[in-house]
Amino acid sequence: MTALRVTAQALAVPFALVVAVIVQLTVVNRAPLPFGTGPDLVLLTVTAVAVCTGPLAGMLAGFAGGLALDVAPPAGHLAGEYALVFCLVGYACGRVRNVILHATGEQTMVTSLTVMVLGVAAGEAGKAALGRLVSDPDVTTVAIRHVLPAAVIYDVLLCPFVLWLVSLALRRPAPERAPRPEFTQVANVFRAASAGAVPRLRLAGSTPAPVRAPARAEPKLRLSSGGSAPLSGTYAAFSPTRAPLPGGRTVKLNFGQDGHAAPGQWQRVSPGKGWLSTGRPAGVATPRRAAPGKGWLRAGRPAGGPATRGTSPPGGWLRAQRPAGAPAVRRASPPKGWLRAERPAGAASFRRASPGNGWLRTGRPVGVPTGRPMSSPPRGWLRVGRPGGTATLRSMSPPRGWLRVQPPAGARTLRRRSPGNGWLRPAGSGALAAPRRGLPGRGGARPVRQAQVPRSTAPPKGWIRPAKPAPPPKRKSPRKRWIRPVKPPRRSSYGTAPSTRWVRHSHSPWPGRRRRLLALVGGRK
Amino acid sequence: MNEARWTRPVLIVLLVAAIALITLDFRAAGGSKAHGIGAEVFGPVERTAGAVVSPVESLIHAATGNQGAEIASLQQQNDQLRAQLSQAQISAQDQAQLTQLLRLTSASHYKVVAATVIAAGGAYSDTVTISAGSRQGIAPNETVLNGDGLVGTVTAVAGTTATVQLATDANSTVGVEVAGTGEIGALTGTGETMAAAQGLKLTLFSATATLTAGQTIVTFGSVGGRPYVAGVPIGQVTQVTSQPGSLTQTALVKPFADFTGLGVLGVVVSR
Repeated sequence: MTALRVTAQALAVPFALVVAVIVQLTVVNRAPLPFGTGPDLVLLTVTAVAVCTGPLAGMLAGFAGGLALDVAPPAGHLAGEYALVFCLVGYACGRVRNVILHATGEQTMVTSLTVMVLGVAAGEAGKAALGRLVSDPDVTTVAIRHVLPAAVIYDVLLCPFVLWLVSLALRRPAPERAPRPEFTQVANVFRAASAGAVPRLRLAGSTPAPVRAPARAEPKLRLSSGGSAPLSGTYAAFSPTRAPLPGGRTVKLNFGQDGHAAPGQWQRVSPGKGWLSTGRPAGVATPRRAAPGKGWLRAGRPAGGPATRGTSPPGGWLRAQRPAGAPAVRRASPPKGWLRAERPAGAASFRRASPGNGWLRTGRPVGVPTGRPMSSPPRGWLRVGRPGGTATLRSMSPPRGWLRVQPPAGARTLRRRSPGNGWLRPAGSGALAAPRRGLPGRGGARPVRQAQVPRSTAPPKGWIRPAKPAPPPKRKSPRKRWIRPVKPPRRSSYGTAPSTRWVRHSHSPWPGRRRRLLALVGGRK
Repeated sequence: MNEARWTRPVLIVLLVAAIALITLDFRAAGGSKAHGIGAEVFGPVERTAGAVVSPVESLIHAATGNQGAEIASLQQQNDQLRAQLSQAQISAQDQAQLTQLLRLTSASHYKVVAATVIAAGGAYSDTVTISAGSRQGIAPNETVLNGDGLVGTVTAVAGTTATVQLATDANSTVGVEVAGTGEIGALTGTGETMAAAQGLKLTLFSATATLTAGQTIVTFGSVGGRPYVAGVPIGQVTQVTSQPGSLTQTALVKPFADFTGLGVLGVVVSR
């Protein structure tokens, strides 16, 4: 069945071209139509094929059809004229179709028809122009003025019909979907979201509707499905679990002691080990609570401290512990309950000016210099995307304060040259941000070292980083550039957010989801 | 599936091939081998298709062209009456010359091969394909006519088909003679649609000759009857367009043959 279909589709285009040529010569040209001319069925077929398939098939069909019209008996023009024109038209139509498909991710009948109409008009004009160029005595200015408008009108009238026929013949077995890279971009945004960027945003349909737990029990930031079904296999891998810490150190934010997942299993797409699980000092008995389960983000408590302090939320739950004497955080931002890292006294207060919109913002850890000018984005802000996908999540180092534990005093700061694409990096998950030996932590959150990861050129595990961006296409010689338009270097699909245009035009049955997506990528509604 | 990689090289190859074809055909003045191959390949297919299409087309013509045929017959009557009137006016000597010429043509040693139109050219070229070729004895540069008058000349011949360039084609120039006065000139096509609108363009070689509307134009004839045999009626002068003081007389000629509804044609074949 499939082989039959493929064969039929491969033969459909030549067959359609031959039929078009014969019908054009024996019927259309002989018919006493008004205005003394008629449609060009071959041109219509060529543009329809180009719009339905692409530039290569379009120009091959154009050349073949044009050549057939050139040499079939009553041809009164030079051989090769129509082959040239139709070849160019087929290529152009296919190219425009591909560009539109790439930009919007889908192909609708309206855009196809528009491209086809333009191609047909260009083809008719090209026929006349080439006739003038080779000084065909038949193609006079008077004749062009007489024939060209009528021919274009006939062609345009026949466009939908021919397009329908050709698309019927060339229909793919499965409906075309949005190209995969685009989808991966969205998925990555969602992944980032579920990794903590936008805690309330979940992949629609992937989890049951969140059950409203009692207010005191509900952490705002859910990193995995605590009690409910796991988000997916991907996220199940970093379901936070508690693990004992060596050395009895107190850890404020222990990002993901993952004792279950096989090491390295999901580490390239999801935060690896060391992500976002609250550490608890070793040896402290686990307080029994209904919800949230173990490992929910919570601020640590010093070892041996009292279990609960107030009614709700319980001490240590996702609240900034303000040390005595610290300036009060203004309540406007960040919203309450959002993940906020502990701010010790003396840290710079939050800036409220930008970016607003409820973007997640975390505090700045201790000891991180704030000398960098707050151009944009301000440090500590998580930026999810920007229309056009440029400079998404771009910063030299992980944004300060974002999902990063405080390095102990004297710990080496993160290397500036990596991570490459500005991706988040959980501090301390690898060897790069390892505390120097012998220097004790200061009681703040500190990275937990999983193992001695050998230093290598490869990024340490635990980085969220995409696969390596494809190397720019090699250009053999600079001379090719005059033929080939310079392509923008292919960017990593992880490094770019989905384009606003794509999101806007994506075929989503849920307008709310689309709106959220738009808000996520920072586009206009 | 490396379509993108192949697109540009293939495009360049195709464009170069097309330009080479154009160049070759241009150098051969439209008579390169490509046309011959195309005629051999597509000719039989067109013959078959034409055999299917022609009855339908004639039916449609008959159905849609009823009033037109009536009007045409009335006009023909009118023309005949007017011609009788003018014939009575022209000199007896001229009339004798004309009848002699026509009788000469009709009694000449020419043979006519009948063929039907099976295909027509595009919007800009006035060419048709007929269902007879070299196997029926047709050769290039032979006169094609129908019951009304001159149609054109054969330009290319394949095995079973031939291409006819109509007299309305802008490439076509016919040596003509004004019946009665004997003035000679050239008749140039203006394109089919334009011919239907205004007519063919007549240029007389003599500056002193006088042209009047209603004069009949016949072919002057070529050496050996190629491409045009003598004495085939072409059309009537409808409008004299020459400017005062111009060196040549020009006029528009309405052809007798209906070029938009050609059916059965005859090709004058020399024995």
